[in-house]
Amino acid sequence: MIKLQNKRGGEEILAMYWFAIILIIAGGIYLMIYYFYGTPYDIRDLESRILMNQIADCVSYGGKINSSLVLGGIFSVNQENFLDTCHLNFNSSEWDVEQFYTEVNFYELDNLENSSFMIKKGNEDWEANCEIQEGEDYEKLAQCAEKSFYSVDETNNQYIIKILTVVRKSEKNVKL
Amino acid sequence: MKKKKGQMVVSNVIFIVLNLLFLSILTLFIYKQGNGAIVLEQSYAKNIALLIDSAKPITEMKLNMKDAFKLAEKNGISREEIVTINENLITVKLTENSGYDYSFFNNVDVTVYPDLISENNYIIQINGYK
Repeated sequence: MIKLQNKRGGEEILAMYWFAIILIIAGGIYLMIYYFYGTPYDIRDLESRILMNQIADCVSYGGKINSSLVLGGIFSVNQENFLDTCHLNFNSSEWDVEQFYTEVNFYELDNLENSSFMIKKGNEDWEANCEIQEGEDYEKLAQCAEKSFYSVDETNNQYIIKILTVVRKSEKNVKL
Repeated sequence: MKKKKGQMVVSNVIFIVLNLLFLSILTLFIYKQGNGAIVLEQSYAKNIALLIDSAKPITEMKLNMKDAFKLAEKNGISREEIVTINENLITVKLTENSGYDYSFFNNVDVTVYPDLISENNYIIQINGYK
């Protein structure tokens, strides 16, 4: 009689143990799913690369520098109109402050240390983020893309053009 | 003895049924989360923003939005209301109480409308620079 009672008690403990295991597994899966689907898709890397390519196409197309930017070795671009020239719009009703920044540097081949001409547009605050591209909080910072290429103007003056693009939009792309 | 064996079979069957029930609820939960309005709205809005950003004028793009159509229909949202563009802000709306906005930087004039020929597509038309 005592043995039978012990066995019943053992079965109850086993049932509770299974119940606890199932609850732990369900809780774990719920947390994983919540974290996975609760984290926004981060497309800033793609956005900064697309922006960089759009600017590169605008500055130089088919290896020739846009004549509205450099003519006969003289930089004629109006900094104010650069975004309009390249058909870009950095303002949006979605954000209070601009979420983009771009910097285009023109280097002559005999002087690659100092740029002959520089174009800066957007919010300069985000540029500092490009220096911190590792660590725990890196993903929460603005994302940067950079490339340089060779191009010539109409009078065959040769340049190396460096383009830096920065996209922030952290609130919409990372779980802060 | 026979009664004890019968009890064991019943408890095993109950245990298996409960386990199956647990697994099916879990699978349904995962499926619902992956196909939920919040996830789909965000995914389509960002997809459309990237397509517009990388497009050149006089381009027509077709985006398969079968899942969005299905969900919107269930929630009483018409196809024309799913994607709207205001200035450079895209809004994707799949339920009455939700909606996701994402902006694009390409300064182009865009028209969006559901495809009448292929029922699963949405057409994104880049008309020209602003």
